[in-house]
Amino acid sequence: MKKLIALLLAVISVFALCACGSVEQDNGKAAGVVTEDDLNKDFVLKVGFDAEFPPYGYLADNGEYDGYDLAVAKELCDRLGWGFEAVPIKWSAKDKELEAGNINCIWNGFTYTGKEDDYTWSLPYADNDIVVVVKADSGITSLSDLAGKSLMVQASSSAAQAVEDNKEFKASLKEVVELSDYSLGFLDLDNGTVAAVAADYGVAASRINEKSDEYVILSETISHEQYAVGFLKGNTALRDAVNAELLKMAEDGTLLEIAQSSDYVERGLVIDKLILINK
Amino acid sequence: MEFQTVLSELVKCFGTTLAIFLLTLIGSLPLGLLVCFGRRSKNCVLRNVTKAYISIMRGTPLMLQLWVVFFGLPMLLNWFFGLFGLRYIADSQWRFTAAIIAFIINYAAYFAEIYRSGIECIPKGQYEAANVLGYGRAQTFVKIILPQMVKNVMPSVTNEVITLVKDTSLCYSIGLVEMFTRATQIANSSSDTFFVAFMTAGVMYYIFNFVVAWLMERCEKAMAYYS
Repeated sequence: MKKLIALLLAVISVFALCACGSVEQDNGKAAGVVTEDDLNKDFVLKVGFDAEFPPYGYLADNGEYDGYDLAVAKELCDRLGWGFEAVPIKWSAKDKELEAGNINCIWNGFTYTGKEDDYTWSLPYADNDIVVVVKADSGITSLSDLAGKSLMVQASSSAAQAVEDNKEFKASLKEVVELSDYSLGFLDLDNGTVAAVAADYGVAASRINEKSDEYVILSETISHEQYAVGFLKGNTALRDAVNAELLKMAEDGTLLEIAQSSDYVERGLVIDKLILINK
Repeated sequence: MEFQTVLSELVKCFGTTLAIFLLTLIGSLPLGLLVCFGRRSKNCVLRNVTKAYISIMRGTPLMLQLWVVFFGLPMLLNWFFGLFGLRYIADSQWRFTAAIIAFIINYAAYFAEIYRSGIECIPKGQYEAANVLGYGRAQTFVKIILPQMVKNVMPSVTNEVITLVKDTSLCYSIGLVEMFTRATQIANSSSDTFFVAFMTAGVMYYIFNFVVAWLMERCEKAMAYYS
């Protein structure tokens, strides 16, 4: 009897799993890798993004997910006749989400530089600097002034990587505090528990635009990098389709039009840094 | 963001929190009883397996269990289907289902131990008396032991249920958009929403728990038919 119940439970749980996914023929490619034939009207582009990363992805005032990257992705899907789904993920789990097929691209101010071999990448579409934000009245004016002080970075972000790579700078710091999102970091900065926040330029600028008298961005940057859309390694058919359409959107001015939205500019989007547009 | 928008966004996502809460209770309260039987079984294999299960569920963080179910199970299934040249791909529904599964198996372990305490404090004499009166084992349990157990465990169950309301916020770690995740997103949408978002969410958790505690108290009173 008890064995029967245990068996029943096991069967139920397997069914619960299968109801939340699909079983298909293994075509020898990694899960989530699509062929050209798959890219038809039924295809849904599941865009993984961090909803705590303005101006590229955030929760807008109307309660919808918005952001420059999401707007471009959505427009691209509309033009290709694909479905579009914005999937908010925890940034530190992005690789697992991609491997599991919960998302089929990471499109959210995702740094391409230094990770060239880890993903299949689209064309780089934006320049970015990892900058350091300090309180305006702190008297800190250069990276060397941060010696012996605490610095906040977002966990698993390119800012964290940049600080990691800049060994000399890291060694001069008292500690590097890794938190899940930047609102916590700026709160730390306000409270004085950290002396500086290292972030992507756009994220830093979105804060500064709101409170220009409280924060300053140091002119000295930690690193320079570029953003691109990351696909699962080997997912070249999807990447090529996205690339081709991105170029068309750059040419006919759609990208510029999206970038000029005051929502994004107010949140720190710098049009001069969008490379595809300026080509 | 206006306060009204913050509130309406949180209320919308409270639906998900409520769903996790209710589905977890629906699943784990009965499953806990089964686990409790296993734990008290005379079969030493079954008893030790359940003991190990309870030990692992209570001894590791729920957040870790959420990760293992959400990321690990699809990988396991993928491997399993791979043996037959097939493969398994999870869809977007899986995030929610994984959370429910993780919560149910975690809370069932706690409930099992609570039930056990409720059963084992009943004096042996009652079993002997039931036996003398001609009650079978199942009959004794359903008619005599179970009603007393339910009364005995009410305060501890209330404790667990209230903890569950707050634990739903752990779904933040797998990116499931329930009330806490939404509050974090609102907090990050601009610099002036941080306190509003988390304070409002906090008040909503408190009100919900207040209602839960009140309901449980009513239940307890309704069951105090001998005093």
